[in-house]
Amino acid sequence: MTPHVRYAIIAFVLFLVQMTFVPLIPVAGFTPDLLILWLVAVGVRRGRLEATLGGFLIGLLHDLTATQFLGLAALAKSITGFVAGSFYNENTAEQTLGSYRSVLIALFLSVLHNFLYYAILFQGVERSVLLATLVSTLGTSLYTTVVAILPMFWFSRRFRTEWAR
Amino acid sequence: MLQRLIDLLHAFRDLVVLGACIVVSVLLLAANDNPQVKRIRSVAAVLLGTVQEPFRSVTAYFDLRTQNDILRRINVELSDEATQLREARLENARLRRLLELPHRIPYRLIAAEVVGKSVNLQRNTLVLNIGRLDGVEPLMPVINDQGLVGVVTDVSDRYAVVNILLNTEFRATGKVQRTRVDGIVGWDGNVVTFRNVARTMDVQVGDVVLTSEYSNTFPPDIRIGVVSLVEERPGSLFKSVTLTPGVDFVRLEEVFVVDAQPAEERTGLERRGAR
Repeated sequence: MTPHVRYAIIAFVLFLVQMTFVPLIPVAGFTPDLLILWLVAVGVRRGRLEATLGGFLIGLLHDLTATQFLGLAALAKSITGFVAGSFYNENTAEQTLGSYRSVLIALFLSVLHNFLYYAILFQGVERSVLLATLVSTLGTSLYTTVVAILPMFWFSRRFRTEWAR
Repeated sequence: MLQRLIDLLHAFRDLVVLGACIVVSVLLLAANDNPQVKRIRSVAAVLLGTVQEPFRSVTAYFDLRTQNDILRRINVELSDEATQLREARLENARLRRLLELPHRIPYRLIAAEVVGKSVNLQRNTLVLNIGRLDGVEPLMPVINDQGLVGVVTDVSDRYAVVNILLNTEFRATGKVQRTRVDGIVGWDGNVVTFRNVARTMDVQVGDVVLTSEYSNTFPPDIRIGVVSLVEERPGSLFKSVTLTPGVDFVRLEEVFVVDAQPAEERTGLERRGAR
């Protein structure tokens, strides 16, 4: 199985989980965005090009099934994927994903993505667009960051196991 | 030239792809009202809905407690509302009947609510929410649409105590409506009796007993009750007559105090005659 197919399958599974299971675990009305974590992994491991394209496609899939603007998630995730690819380093990718740096990257990318997304989404809807954007960005980003700890442990364990060999 | 352009694009392929994604995204954003785009989205929504369907029952399970609380609260509110409506309907029916009273009684009637009541003692009383300030005085009769309730015995500024028919101290002269036979209505602690009826007098079960003109306290022709039992005891000159009161004292809530006091001239004359 090529890496691209593997990433695509993981993305699709995460997308399904995001649309079905994640809405069941809200905290104060916010839910984590698992697709951001996927973008972190793709960006750090594969670079800007693939992360940008991956972000665009997964965002488009999200847009097609959401009730908001078509193209909004695609736009936000394309830019987020591009920025995620900036953390690409072939030699240190596994170490980065298995350390606290991945959590910080997830936080940064999540803030970037959610700010772009909500700033456009709330245009003409909320009275205070900035306040609503900041609140939604903060809530979703913090939750996503907390969830990002789980893959960090998984990557850390995998990296140590492979290194021990 | 073309090769240089391809090399340039390749060198900046990341940015080119990003730019292309942004352009496509913006175009899609602009095409949100396009019918074809809507069609694609509806198909995607149906497909996702099929996947989400099994999870809806899970969501419903998590919401059960909240829904249960909401339903319970609504149930309490509706029950309370239904009780109030039922109460209002009953009160409305009672008040309608009471409204007819002033046309039948040629006295001023003072409306009152029963705020205290005893019905299972030897000396049963009512407490009314009106008193001297409302014009109530002792010895005023108390009635409702069903008949004679009692007589005022004590009055404060805002409250009045009434000796009801079911009180061993209560007495009223009565008459059988059908035959005009007189007697004394009282309460022996167990049943309402109609005493001093001679054995020869015509009194039958079902006869209606009214207040008599002989009473200086109660206006005449107020319904007291219905004869429920007539017995002739061996060796006695009188019949033993039992009445069923017209008034349902257990459910009594509104009454009228009749603004009719005993005529002092008549009372004085009767006392002198008695001596």
